Amino acid sequence: MGGNARCIAMLQAFKEVIKDYSTPPEKTLARDLTAKVNSYVSFLIQCRPLSISMGNAIRFLKAHIAKLPLTMRESEAKASLCSDIDRFIDEKIVLADKVIVRHAVTKIRDGDVLLTYGSSSVVEMILLHALEHEKKFRVVVVDSRPNLEGQTLVRRLMEKGLSCTYTHINAVSYIMHEVTKVFLGAASVLSNGTVYSRVGTACVAMVAHAFRVPVLICCEAYKFHERVQLDSICSNELGDPDAISKVPGRMDVSDSDYRANKENLQFLNLIYDATPSDYVSMIITDYGMIPTTSVPVIVREYGREHLLI
Amino acid sequence: MGMDFQVVVLAGGTSKKLLPLVSKEVPKALLPVANRPVLSYVLELLEQSNLKDLIVVVEGEYAALLVGGWISSTYVDRLHVEVAAVPEDVGTTGALRAIAHHLTANDILVVSGDLICDVPPGAVAAAHRRHDAVVTAMLCSAPISGPSESGSSSGKDKAKKPGRHNVIGLDPTKQFLLHIAAGAEVEKDIRIQKSILRAVGEMEIRADLMDAHFYAFKRSVLQEVLNQKETFQSLKQDVLPYLVRSQLRSELLLNGAQAEENGNEKDASQNNKIKLSQLLSNASTPSFHERYALGLKGSASVSRKTHKCCVYIASKSKYCARLNSIQAFSDINRDVTGDASHLSGYSFSAQNNIIHPSAVLGSKTTVGPQCMLGEGSQMGDKCSVKRSVIGRHCRIGSNVKVVNSVVMNHVTIGDGCSIQGSVICSNVQLQERVVLRDCQVGASFVVTSGSEYKGESLARKEKQ
Repeated sequence: MGGNARCIAMLQAFKEVIKDYSTPPEKTLARDLTAKVNSYVSFLIQCRPLSISMGNAIRFLKAHIAKLPLTMRESEAKASLCSDIDRFIDEKIVLADKVIVRHAVTKIRDGDVLLTYGSSSVVEMILLHALEHEKKFRVVVVDSRPNLEGQTLVRRLMEKGLSCTYTHINAVSYIMHEVTKVFLGAASVLSNGTVYSRVGTACVAMVAHAFRVPVLICCEAYKFHERVQLDSICSNELGDPDAISKVPGRMDVSDSDYRANKENLQFLNLIYDATPSDYVSMIITDYGMIPTTSVPVIVREYGREHLLI
Repeated sequence: MGMDFQVVVLAGGTSKKLLPLVSKEVPKALLPVANRPVLSYVLELLEQSNLKDLIVVVEGEYAALLVGGWISSTYVDRLHVEVAAVPEDVGTTGALRAIAHHLTANDILVVSGDLICDVPPGAVAAAHRRHDAVVTAMLCSAPISGPSESGSSSGKDKAKKPGRHNVIGLDPTKQFLLHIAAGAEVEKDIRIQKSILRAVGEMEIRADLMDAHFYAFKRSVLQEVLNQKETFQSLKQDVLPYLVRSQLRSELLLNGAQAEENGNEKDASQNNKIKLSQLLSNASTPSFHERYALGLKGSASVSRKTHKCCVYIASKSKYCARLNSIQAFSDINRDVTGDASHLSGYSFSAQNNIIHPSAVLGSKTTVGPQCMLGEGSQMGDKCSVKRSVIGRHCRIGSNVKVVNSVVMNHVTIGDGCSIQGSVICSNVQLQERVVLRDCQVGASFVVTSGSEYKGESLARKEKQ
């Protein structure tokens, strides 16, 4: 489930919340709505830990709720919040994606072999846009168990007529020698330039670096975060352990013996990993194409921007 | 819930399977279970889920009047109910056709009025919306037929094996309904669509699940099926299997709105909306319907129309039963006072039974656990009540034994009677020393003193 899609779906759900909301008597809209939003956020966290993009969006929403003047009527306040959410989605996600695509397409030349990992919404848009601009290139999609997200990407690329190669991550060092550029998506980019993305991205980036292939990370600026993370273990999300213990179609491997022997065996299904900044050549954002050292600058200078509107 | 759902409760009429319990005065919907009409269970469940706009469909004008009268007196401010009368024997589909013009919401919940369960309708509705399904059916574990001591009216199957209600085919994720067979088809061979099996890869066939007659339909689809398929009589036996069979070669006119979206796109905001919806739809794993619709090569030129039929499987801890036979009536009464007592809405006393404060018990009279004694009832001396439900204003003499039975309101039972595994309807008079075993006594019947009946159904001839 992609970071952008989760964030948009959550914001649309919050728009419904605001539309259905009515202030109870003796309470101010700002405080009561913030309290309600907090309770809904804890419910969402119970279902699945928030992604960094979702966390930033919630901070934006709460800041806008807090800034509502007390004298504003409820209907106006609700309409204003809904239009703020719409603007956030349009500017920070949809428009940002368009800008990223336009920048990235300039980097694609005829004869390129592009590699991507998993299924990133931005990278897919870049590839399809480049195809529309009549660029001659082919794509290698690297995929990994257990989610096999690359398969849906390959299906959609094939629909449009792009020539694709599909492989799993265990063969990435073999395929890398034919690749000219690597495009990767990100769940977030942290202040020290570390790219926090789907597990396997770090592996692909490291192999690309070893083969001297440029690695371009495509990430919208609203996903940047001020925290610093040095490795993948200190803060991550755990997926379903059964997903990696079972292999569909292989009854011998999916044996329940493994699961019975609980003391010695632990299934670790990490969702994200951290790619150190040394392996990243460039980050393409809606603020332009920046090196990894410029990320804290953007967080600092433009982090408060949406709050000043 | 306010989620734009409309609820239709199919309360039936005077079901032939439940004679002599039902009569002109007591339609099926008003049969008492634990001294509450069975329809009240459905209405309470809907009220708790904040579904307050209901249409109750009753077969027969007079029955509709009775049901309507009861509803308006009990639920006057709590629910907004419209009672619609349809002619008898039109079947569930016919009943829906009659009220089809009243349906306005996007989705319709269709519930059978004889359903007693504690599954929240919100869960079924959520499953329906999540997949944008055309129909979602609730399935529950099939009940095992009751112990042989309570007997059965037909006397034919005394075997204790669970009855086969439905044959259900599910996909590996247990979210989609691939095959459903009901009624007489259950005993015949199972015929499965090859295209569905090929598209999904793996199908699980279950015989232990039962269709609970709790459906969520997309309104446009329901109206289309009702209009086009004139011969369909029953939801369970015609409409549902038709929708399930045709899910990969859909003949329905779904999503007329989509055609409008593909119109003039020069508007920037429209563009954004399309990008948004594409982003959201690309993110989720496609179901086997979407993969089938795209075809093998992934080319959209071979687009086939599909629709989704979802299921919601109630967890085993939930209670779910339908009042569709006399055996079920006794079983449900027993369950609601026993295992599923949270459904009855009453609070049980320390001895695990419910005795109304105005009830009078004679000396040395015992009322065992899991029993109910209604308002104003009087029992004589040395009586014994075990695992039974006794209604309001009954006059029970001395030395009476009531075991495993249901006694409705205003019943007079003479001294020395013994009632076992039976159902006694309202206004019945049992004279002295009557012995009843596994019987059903219809309303206002008089059983002469000293008679002994076993496994019989006693009723007065209906005055025309």
